[in-house]
Amino acid sequence: MWEGMISGMMTGISTTFIPINIGMVLFGCFAGSLIGMLPGLGPITAVALMIPVTYSLEPTTGMVLLAGVYYGAIFGGSTSSILINAPGEAATVATALDGYPLARQGYPGKALAIAAYSSFSGGTIAVVLMMFFAPMLASIATSFQSADYFALMILGLTAVSAFAGRGGVLKALLMVVLGLMLATVGTDQTSGVQRFTFGSLELLDGIEFLLLAMATFALTEALMLVLKRDASSDSFNPKMIGFKSLKVTAKEFKLITPSVLRSSLLGFFVGVLPGAGATLGSFMSYGMERNLAPPEEQKKFGKGSLRGLAAPETGNNAASTGSFVPLLTLGIPGSGTTAVMLGALIAYGIEPGPRMFIERPDVFWGVIMSMYLGNVFLLILNLPLIPYFARLLAIPRNLMVPIILFFSLMGVYLVTFNDFDIMMMVFFCLAAMGLRLMNFPMAPLLLGFILGGLMEDNLRRSLMIYDESMSFMWERPITATINLITIFILTLPLIRLMLSRLKAKK
Amino acid sequence: MAREKVGALIMLLFSMSYGMLATKITLTFLSQQETFTARTMPYALSVLGILLSLAILVLPTADPGGEKSLGEETKGMDWPTAILLVVLMLVFGLTMKWLGFIVASILFLLVGFWILGERRKKLMLFAAIPLVIVLWCLMSLLLGVYIAPGEIFYQMGIL
Repeated sequence: MWEGMISGMMTGISTTFIPINIGMVLFGCFAGSLIGMLPGLGPITAVALMIPVTYSLEPTTGMVLLAGVYYGAIFGGSTSSILINAPGEAATVATALDGYPLARQGYPGKALAIAAYSSFSGGTIAVVLMMFFAPMLASIATSFQSADYFALMILGLTAVSAFAGRGGVLKALLMVVLGLMLATVGTDQTSGVQRFTFGSLELLDGIEFLLLAMATFALTEALMLVLKRDASSDSFNPKMIGFKSLKVTAKEFKLITPSVLRSSLLGFFVGVLPGAGATLGSFMSYGMERNLAPPEEQKKFGKGSLRGLAAPETGNNAASTGSFVPLLTLGIPGSGTTAVMLGALIAYGIEPGPRMFIERPDVFWGVIMSMYLGNVFLLILNLPLIPYFARLLAIPRNLMVPIILFFSLMGVYLVTFNDFDIMMMVFFCLAAMGLRLMNFPMAPLLLGFILGGLMEDNLRRSLMIYDESMSFMWERPITATINLITIFILTLPLIRLMLSRLKAKK
Repeated sequence: MAREKVGALIMLLFSMSYGMLATKITLTFLSQQETFTARTMPYALSVLGILLSLAILVLPTADPGGEKSLGEETKGMDWPTAILLVVLMLVFGLTMKWLGFIVASILFLLVGFWILGERRKKLMLFAAIPLVIVLWCLMSLLLGVYIAPGEIFYQMGIL
């Protein structure tokens, strides 16, 4: 195992440390930080916006760029959370709980510096853990068959819904089903039969995943900013942060170090769970630190606690790194962002999963090794550039929204050169806005859409192998185990409900 | 009515229509003998969609965010601006081939800025024109992607 890991690392180093890939990591971190910083735009939008750029690149280079954009965007989101209390997405909400009060108390630079150090530590520790766990999981998964993959995909889709929060499970499941329905549009790959194309030639190849991702995230986010009259950035004064205020004392470092270590471990393992992602990683880390803190420190939580800021920042970065484990080893995305990345991999013609570990070690190890580099770049780049990056927050909404809309539309049009795609994007954007206004989540839809085709193929193949019987679901030990985990995850919300009722009775 | 119930009702109707349309998927003679056909997955998804929508409709709303009515949620929202932007996007899509990438994009950005209340002409031009030109240069000159000029230029005899 060690030999394989060392040779893999060497492959990763030789792949990553070539000028184009180093350049792409740098560009990815930079672009991700800038996009993630814009209020309302999260990592899914950032990654989706960058996908058209990757089409002209080699698969490894493209994935390295997207990985850089992902963790860059997570860090960028923290900046807008801390400075203007406008988290770009759910994963940085916990950062705002203590980061924003700290900024209001006159320490915006310190808050940003702690966020940068915590992100760096969380990301780096998680990459080390990933190097050990990803190859292990991939080697186990090489014995997986279609039946196991089908079960795994159900597990992934169920898990996304199970972590949706109180009252959100059914809605998330319904959105998964809607995503799966959209995936059936087009020509059926096995029989060649047209499904739901309404005689349209444009729909023969199905719905482009990039189109759906851009429409449901980038376009919708921009229009929601307009609808909600979100002017959070308009009052921001970039002169409020300077170089001097970025200093963190040795005492403060000592205070946050244990929190960073604990949150890195927790964040990573939460991130590995399919469906959990960075949001749960950050909130769980925050909750853990608040519970572990001495009573005096506990009172500071929510009012500008350094530990309260370091924990979620570490947790979300560690979890976003952890979410690459199921993506690279099983081909199951752990979050909405990794679902978009899975779509990019499929577009490259690479079948994600354990075979990728064997057949494309350059992509597998290249992405892992680039994360080391990315974390270092983020720290070097972001600390001195924070005051300049933050100026972006002062761009008025009047200019920002049309530019986001333009880049989203162009991102799809410049790949397909089809006017019909722009019309479809507008249609899906309107549908997504409607669903969001009715409180339905969008990430499960994207996950269902991306896994839909693979799921149907695997189910069809399993049925052929097992003589058209569903018995593989309980007869094959690996499949049965995965199914049991799925059932457990599905019943989790019920268990939680029963436990809370029992507590209330007591 | 709670907004998530409205969503569930729409999804129920959608799932039923999807299921009905699934019955119209034409099957080849050979595939008609198989257990798993091109209709199987859509049928299963339709049933799942109907069951989940019904569950949301019937069960009490547990999510505090979903309890608000759609009217309450959308109250005070800037609908005219959002609708104008949607129309602008549709017009952009319809005129793209005719006007060409550069002209259509610059116009899209300028009108977009104007819809959102920007009136500083110099700023609008300074934000729109370089952005589009840089993107065009990047795609055409650097990445070698051919972007066809607008048909209007051929009709006017310019090209």
